[in-house]
Amino acid sequence: MTTVYNWQIGREMEYPFAEARPKKQFAMIMDTNKCIACQTCTVACKTTWTSGRGQEYMFWNNVETKPYGYYPLGWDVKILDKLGIQDVGPGPYQGKTLFEAAPEGEKVLGYLPADLDYAHPNISEDDSTGSMTRGAFITMPHMQWMHYLPRICNHCTYPACVGACPRQSAYKRPEDGIVLVDQMRCRGYRECVRGCPYKKPFFNSITRTSEKCVGCYPAVESGRQTQCTITCIGKIRLQGFISTPDKANPDNPLDYLIHGLQLAKPLYPQLGLEPNVYYIPPIHVPGTYLRQMFGAGAEQATALYRTAVDDKKLLGALLLFGATPMIIERFKVDGDTAYGYNEKGEELVRVPLREPVFMRVAFDETFKTHRSNIT
Amino acid sequence: MNRKNSTLALVTLIAGLTGCNATASSQVGVADPETAPAARSAAPAVEAPKTAAVHYAAKPATPAPAPADALEAVRVAHDGAVIDPADQAWQSSKPRTVTLQPQNVTTPNNLSPAVTEMTVRSVHNGQWLSILLEWNDPTKSDRLVVDQFGDQVAVQLPLRFRADAPYNPMMGAPDERVNIIQWRAAFQADLDRKRSLEVRDLYPHAHSDLYPDKVLNAIDLRAYLGAAGVDNPVAAHRASPVLDQVAEGFGSLTVKQHQEADGQGTWSNGQWHVVITLPMAPEGTNAPNLTGGDQSTVAFAVWEGGNQEVGSRKAWSDWVPLTLAK
Repeated sequence: MTTVYNWQIGREMEYPFAEARPKKQFAMIMDTNKCIACQTCTVACKTTWTSGRGQEYMFWNNVETKPYGYYPLGWDVKILDKLGIQDVGPGPYQGKTLFEAAPEGEKVLGYLPADLDYAHPNISEDDSTGSMTRGAFITMPHMQWMHYLPRICNHCTYPACVGACPRQSAYKRPEDGIVLVDQMRCRGYRECVRGCPYKKPFFNSITRTSEKCVGCYPAVESGRQTQCTITCIGKIRLQGFISTPDKANPDNPLDYLIHGLQLAKPLYPQLGLEPNVYYIPPIHVPGTYLRQMFGAGAEQATALYRTAVDDKKLLGALLLFGATPMIIERFKVDGDTAYGYNEKGEELVRVPLREPVFMRVAFDETFKTHRSNIT
Repeated sequence: MNRKNSTLALVTLIAGLTGCNATASSQVGVADPETAPAARSAAPAVEAPKTAAVHYAAKPATPAPAPADALEAVRVAHDGAVIDPADQAWQSSKPRTVTLQPQNVTTPNNLSPAVTEMTVRSVHNGQWLSILLEWNDPTKSDRLVVDQFGDQVAVQLPLRFRADAPYNPMMGAPDERVNIIQWRAAFQADLDRKRSLEVRDLYPHAHSDLYPDKVLNAIDLRAYLGAAGVDNPVAAHRASPVLDQVAEGFGSLTVKQHQEADGQGTWSNGQWHVVITLPMAPEGTNAPNLTGGDQSTVAFAVWEGGNQEVGSRKAWSDWVPLTLAK
């Protein structure tokens, strides 16, 4: 074990390997408030990557209903239960990470899911926390609630799969931080499946090796965002690269939303992996739950999100989600338009902050016909 | 480009594609030592235990007579390798009990392995050295799904026997390369089935409407086959239930390009009977050269799949002296 710095928990921590941050770090922001769990991302990923034999129940991308939906069953509550109650408050995290809580003879605190835990990928879909009483009316946060949580591999800065693999078959790419399992080197020990708290490495029973989300690396290498991002009909995702907080660039939309505004939060940062998928927390969910899931500052993020319409730069950054299939490395808001640029500074897309409204009279003089307002 | 060069190029290509582990402090020898000798100097990422080797350092330098507790490979007249666990040839060999202990030097480990001893016998016919391994296992484990592991057993021999300074018994060390031949119950099941594994062998009621192999040609298909598409030896249907491998310490186990060892296993009445056999005059340099009258050592490891033993979660034995009858 070596000592590394994890900015998400604000302190140094133990990790099996020395700190070696990649040149660029793959990252994604998902706006949970816009997700409708249509599973278009899930199907896009499935048809791209996991249509083969032994991958039938393997979903590198999944969308689950929280708090009662899970894939695999109970993944987060099980590891939170194993870790036990920890001190999660403002300031540096005082509790133990999964590496620090590793039992004797293990590199990371983990567990192996049961085979049947993968059998119901969308269990508890749309289940809310309870029934509404008679006469109840909606308040914020909601007294009964649920929200959707789309998930891919977090391509962590300190991946538990990499730390747990005794053969270094799982590794993190220095060029973009994408975490992969070398399919030539893997021998199917499943230490990555056991070690990853997010349960995003999967065992393929036909090839007898472990496989995981590859961050659509062929696309990312060509400056293109992942399949799950560009197919999202709700435009909830933005994929690009994140800097460390000390090097945050306010013109990088991910840096701006994650570091600058602290609007997008990591998933279960207390586990200590420094995950690189960030979530804009759901605004209708109680703060205690949000703090457990997204760490300190989750409630401030939801408060800020409600005012987004008043801040042109923030609004512009949010409107660039799903606006182009290419990776936006820089952005600016000028007047009432948001602009996205690639690494070379070439304009990729421009989006109006307010969509123009066109009024059309019911009778079309050109074609001498009446039109309803939905044609 | 000859075969060795093309393999080396492939290894280099893979290394280039995959990059190295950005968070790893050092690199393991991932390249096949047969084809990429430069990789031999790469230090293993895991801390190589030296404690076990120290235990042997005080032994006499001159070869002593065969120890009384040696495993003796009896010479038999047999056409081809003795590979059937039920072969009459085993009657002539003397069984030896081998004590197994938990692997507790590297992580991860399992300090309560299910198998604590096994019976081994050995014979040779001047060309093939065969070892019969038998241990109690009430559950036959050869179905591999995420939470089910397979039974496995392995035999380890040093590439060169050094009576005065035996190799590190825990998968060797740099410059102490060992030949590890591992038999897997899941491979045996594949062979007994006489065809490659299908989803319905694991899940009898599974249904899928379409797989890529139904619509793509063999070249385009490779990208959809995962480990099988890159010819990972654990993923392909094999001609033998054993993997013929070399290692120079934890995490360095490498399947040899040229597979020479073989084996066969049967399970009956709560007991595994597994034969592992290897040529005494191998073609490559990554296996020991043995002749009748030689002394060497052999070590063993067992994995009880039902106890979730896999990889470094195993029971292993120290070196056992091995003598080959003239």
